[in-house]
Amino acid sequence: MLEIKNLTKSYGDVLALDRFSLDLKKGEVLGLLGPNGAGKTTLISILSGTLGDFTGTVNFQGRNLFADREVKNRLGIVPQDMAFYDELSAMDNLLFWGGLYDVPRADIKKRAAELLELVELAARAKEPVKNFSGGMKRRLNTAIGLLHKPDLLLLDEPTVGIDVQAKVSILEIIRNAGAAGTAVIFTTHQLAEVETTCSRIAIMDRGRILAQGTLDDLVRIVGERDIVEIAGEFAAAVFSEAVKDLAGERVELLSAADGLASLAVSDTAEIPRIMDRLFQRRLAVADIKIKSPSLETVFLKLTGRNLRD
Amino acid sequence: MRRFLLVLGNDVRRHLKSPVVILIFMAIPLFMTALIGIIFAPRTEGMELSPIQLLLVDHDKGLASKLLLGSFDVDQMKKMFQVTVTDEAEGRKRMEKGKASAMIIVPERFTLDLLEAKMTVLTVVKNPAEQFLPDIVEEFVNTMAVMLSGAVQAFAEEARGIRAMLDGPIASFPWDKLGPELGKAQKKMVAAEKVLNPLLLGLKEEETQAAGAKTRFTQRDLFSIMLPGMAIMFLLFIVQTLMRDIISEREDGKLRRMMTTPLRPMELIGARLASGWVMGIAVLLVMVAAGSLIFRAQWGNFGYFLILGAAASFWTAAFFGLFHALVRNRNQAGAFAAPIILAFSLFGGSMMNAEAMPKAFLAVGVATPNRWFIDGATLVREGKFPALSLLVLVGSGLVLAALAVPALRRRTWV
Repeated sequence: MLEIKNLTKSYGDVLALDRFSLDLKKGEVLGLLGPNGAGKTTLISILSGTLGDFTGTVNFQGRNLFADREVKNRLGIVPQDMAFYDELSAMDNLLFWGGLYDVPRADIKKRAAELLELVELAARAKEPVKNFSGGMKRRLNTAIGLLHKPDLLLLDEPTVGIDVQAKVSILEIIRNAGAAGTAVIFTTHQLAEVETTCSRIAIMDRGRILAQGTLDDLVRIVGERDIVEIAGEFAAAVFSEAVKDLAGERVELLSAADGLASLAVSDTAEIPRIMDRLFQRRLAVADIKIKSPSLETVFLKLTGRNLRD
Repeated sequence: MRRFLLVLGNDVRRHLKSPVVILIFMAIPLFMTALIGIIFAPRTEGMELSPIQLLLVDHDKGLASKLLLGSFDVDQMKKMFQVTVTDEAEGRKRMEKGKASAMIIVPERFTLDLLEAKMTVLTVVKNPAEQFLPDIVEEFVNTMAVMLSGAVQAFAEEARGIRAMLDGPIASFPWDKLGPELGKAQKKMVAAEKVLNPLLLGLKEEETQAAGAKTRFTQRDLFSIMLPGMAIMFLLFIVQTLMRDIISEREDGKLRRMMTTPLRPMELIGARLASGWVMGIAVLLVMVAAGSLIFRAQWGNFGYFLILGAAASFWTAAFFGLFHALVRNRNQAGAFAAPIILAFSLFGGSMMNAEAMPKAFLAVGVATPNRWFIDGATLVREGKFPALSLLVLVGSGLVLAALAVPALRRRTWV
């Protein structure tokens, strides 16, 4: 359904997308994980048609996505901004934004009522949106993107700054959209969201996809090893030097920053050896955590950074 | 076209759902007009001074003091003066408390001294806290003194006769001698009447009838002249505020979202300019209605005025379309818009009459919509078609729109 090839976009000297390529099938829900500056929002903006001056091709349902403005009728966008009119009611907002698409006039109202039920805003449909909570506004923001039943839904961090209940509701909407045959790309910082919602996960950094697949596929990248996270008062270079000769099949240094380092170990018996080495070098260790392999450890291995960095 | 109408309708609906800003901007010119009109308009009807509070102390209680007191009792004087007869101690207390404008003290023997043609003095105590009312009393008493002095001198012989009769007790008053004395006085009055009546000099009231001149400049005329200037000034403020959406929607992501839909940039730009225009006309119409109802202002031919208002609104929408395409953000728009509108209003004649403006102001004013709208409104009020004003407003409005559209087109690429 969506085929992106060698998409490249730069802002001056900064490369936001670096020969980015991706395929997406009908009904597939792709979670795009990446730290700030990874290029997620740039990708969504280009696919939305609001950012130009790029190279590469984007084909959607066999046609150039940007060749025909009417193709936009098949795209649904949920931006990070709460982009609707606060002074209007939820129903009026849906009617206006839905009206910008080629939805038959008779269907818009019916569809708007259905969506308000779906996002649990039916009881307050006629109330000005300015009275809504943050979570309610996020749900409305999502509903606007779905009103015209798009074939491709793009969501840019749709769960930012909302309570758990609203987050669960929005993720449910995304899962349902995928189940109904809509291809979905959504960007997030939250690992748990993609773990529970997406049929495929892509990890991107510095404008490129580093790895993609199902959760199991990605975890296999780290293997069955445990992750040891060590915190203390040490410099990254000193820590790396201290564990250098331990590195091998049984111990792998995943990341090292000043005061925090992560290692993958195939056997927990390796941990005392590591600690012994650190004490020999007089490195002050304040805390040690042992974690099972997860998406977070995959992300850490691939990017060398925590997702919140 | 469907999407153009959808955006236009949505803009109008939104503004009507949050009308506070529009209402405030519409109330300000009406309030300012009322204030200026009340202060500066000529009083033509029902605008009388309240009566002057006057205290009168009568130590004489004689014929002349009664005459003086009686002079305040005629209709004309009753409108001007509210007289309270009191004793001197109480009168002075009230004056110290500022309860009256002036106090006249009639001395003892006032009547007798007059009849004997002796010098006598009336005292006028004035309230220093009041500016001109005590002076009116003083002038009035002066006039009365002159009249009484004149009367006494004219009837000096009769007065002496009557004075002599007053020396005895009242029981022995020679009533039979009073008749001849009064008879002599009557003869003098009849003789005087022959001289004074008919009066040789009459007074005729007339107003100028010069060509085009109005017989009287009323408060209503002042409102009619002021309101168009105020209306165009606040039309600029209102349309500027409404069209600030162009920037705010860019900043809050709504423009980006709109551009992800099949809506074309030109449809959006057209709708934005059209909504500014439509709202401008609506605002002007409400101001016209309010001006007519509240101030009974005269606008002239309504059709002509509607065309003029539509032209001014078009100019305003085009100007602020361009303006918002050029400024970077809401703060810049807010910072620049108010000085520009105030400069338009100052040089264009919204703040002062063109006749009172320096020549340099008039020359600059030609470049403002205010000047052309006010000139056009004046012509419409006189029953003429404002052709030149329309030509200038529509012509320059089209130029502004032609500049605004490509500038806004660049702005919609988010």
